[in-house]
Amino acid sequence: MAGEEDKNKVMPPIAAGGPRKLDRRDVLKGLSTVPALGLFAYAWQQQRQYDQATLQATAAPAAAGDVQELNIALIGAGAQGQVLTDAMLRIPGLRFRAVCDVWTEYNLRRVVNILRRFKHEPNAYEDYREMLDKEKELDAVVIATPDFWHAPHTVECLKAGKHVYCEKEMSNTLEGARSMVAAARETGKLLQIGHQRRSNPRYLHCYEKLLNEAKLLGRIVTINGQWNRAVAADLGAPDRYAIPEERLKQYGFKNMHQFRNWRWYKGLGGGPIVDLGSHQIDIYTWFLGTNPSAVMASGGLLYYDPATHEWYDTVMVVYDYQTPQGPVKAYYQTQTTNGSQGYFENFMGDQGTLLISESELNYAGKIYRDPNAPAWDEWIQKGYISAPKLQEVQSQEKTGAIADVRESVSPDEHTVPVVLRDPYHQPHLQNFFDAVRGKAKLNCPPEVGYESAVSVLKVNEAIDAKSILAFKPEDFHI
Amino acid sequence: MEGATFSRSAMIAITVMRVLVGWHFMYEGIAKLTSSSWSAAGYLRQARGPAASFFRWLAAQPNLLAYADQITMWGLTIVGALLILGLFTRLSALAGIGFLVLFYAANPPFVGYFYSLPSEGSYLIVNKQLVELGALLVIMVTGSGKYAGLDRIVHALITRKPAPAVVSPAR
Repeated sequence: MAGEEDKNKVMPPIAAGGPRKLDRRDVLKGLSTVPALGLFAYAWQQQRQYDQATLQATAAPAAAGDVQELNIALIGAGAQGQVLTDAMLRIPGLRFRAVCDVWTEYNLRRVVNILRRFKHEPNAYEDYREMLDKEKELDAVVIATPDFWHAPHTVECLKAGKHVYCEKEMSNTLEGARSMVAAARETGKLLQIGHQRRSNPRYLHCYEKLLNEAKLLGRIVTINGQWNRAVAADLGAPDRYAIPEERLKQYGFKNMHQFRNWRWYKGLGGGPIVDLGSHQIDIYTWFLGTNPSAVMASGGLLYYDPATHEWYDTVMVVYDYQTPQGPVKAYYQTQTTNGSQGYFENFMGDQGTLLISESELNYAGKIYRDPNAPAWDEWIQKGYISAPKLQEVQSQEKTGAIADVRESVSPDEHTVPVVLRDPYHQPHLQNFFDAVRGKAKLNCPPEVGYESAVSVLKVNEAIDAKSILAFKPEDFHI
Repeated sequence: MEGATFSRSAMIAITVMRVLVGWHFMYEGIAKLTSSSWSAAGYLRQARGPAASFFRWLAAQPNLLAYADQITMWGLTIVGALLILGLFTRLSALAGIGFLVLFYAANPPFVGYFYSLPSEGSYLIVNKQLVELGALLVIMVTGSGKYAGLDRIVHALITRKPAPAVVSPAR
């Protein structure tokens, strides 16, 4: 750090090169900016205290007197496990006792650190059987592992006497899903499948109030829905966090790439139609009140590298439903190469259209009244739907457009006035824990999850068969 | 800088500027270190300009990205602390300039580039990164740490021993 070119008038004549003492002036000026570091430390401390306070404000309060505290564990601390953890940290009366993940080098450490910040002291496990052996106090286990692990994890947890919340897809095979239903029935323990829209207040409002009570759509004839997702790079992991090959093999993965991108591999996951579509196709069935009678589908791997992507990146499906009111055709598409227009479900009846999505940002809930339908004033007064949005009159003179006289008049647009201010998964988890405490009925018991799995897993079959596949009513029952 | 002299008030002003820039660097570093999930990946992926392909390539290499994240987090923190303290001022100012060049190069506000992430101002070629870079240049060339900073003590300790009389050839 020589700096002889600094001919600084106010600096001591250091350039002279002769012996020189460190004088008082040097020490004072030399240390003059150190207090700034102290000020920084003070300001940072203030910032941390503020962050801590906001963290505690959003964190769940400890179990109040009337809420029974539940000891819970998480198996699978990947991306979805993290989403569920974030939601659970906001639910009162939960105590994380254990977490389990085979990626001990990364996921497990991260989730333990996060939970500690929220004053939980979870024990960390790589092996779920060891966890079940040692953690006798557990009331419930939340499972967010890859699909092909759902059945073994769920069955063993149920048999160990724990209630289970298991992510969807219930299983990647129907045998797996059946074993889960059987285990739940045998043990009498609760099993909730993670189709979280079933507990979403907006979906419940639409189902109970708008469709069943007010019957605003009239007769539903068609449905369309989609989940469009933008191109995404394969998930990677730094080599220093890599899982040893032996452990990967032990848990059914060929290599780290497959471990990180299991959703794209046959035998491990089900591809986008299962990851994304199963949520929404479940809503078709729920709202129509019946399971589909047939499915035709087209799909393929149009974009990604077949060496690392086995499942179809693009799928288009048409389901047939036979409802008591008449037949329904329901279209669904998922594509993973362009995220425009996101995800929604759109129910179209002869009196109205319901456009709904789990997303609070887009398509959160609009209902359109067909001009021929009876007035909806009564339902607006009851607060079921908002008053119609005033339509901007597009005069033909202004736009220069010449509308066809046969063009339908645009329907009135109303908003579904239900907004979820919590994480999307929180109500469904809350429903599960309420059920564990005996205060609620499960919104998605294993039988419902099974019906959904039958409908959705058939799509991949239909793509391969290149023909219409029929469902028998007994396919959906166990 | 030959023959340049600075008044006492100029040196104080430059020192204040050094502490401010150091503070900003240090908090940028510490905020990233204490965030559980910070990564440069998002910033790198939206890179524009001549070096965009390099930054996007970097974002796709998990190993290199992990190093880049560590270097950024610790580098900003250390550079910030050194600037505040006025220790190794020239070296830390140079390192700070290095970081800013990279940040600027990844997302340059050139004519015709539109960024979807909201930025806090309106820029034409010059943005706040470039302004901060200019401040570091001044700090670097004036060696403000030797006026008010630990460099002064370090320097005094080093030059306390009798030095060969060749440090500054007579002119």
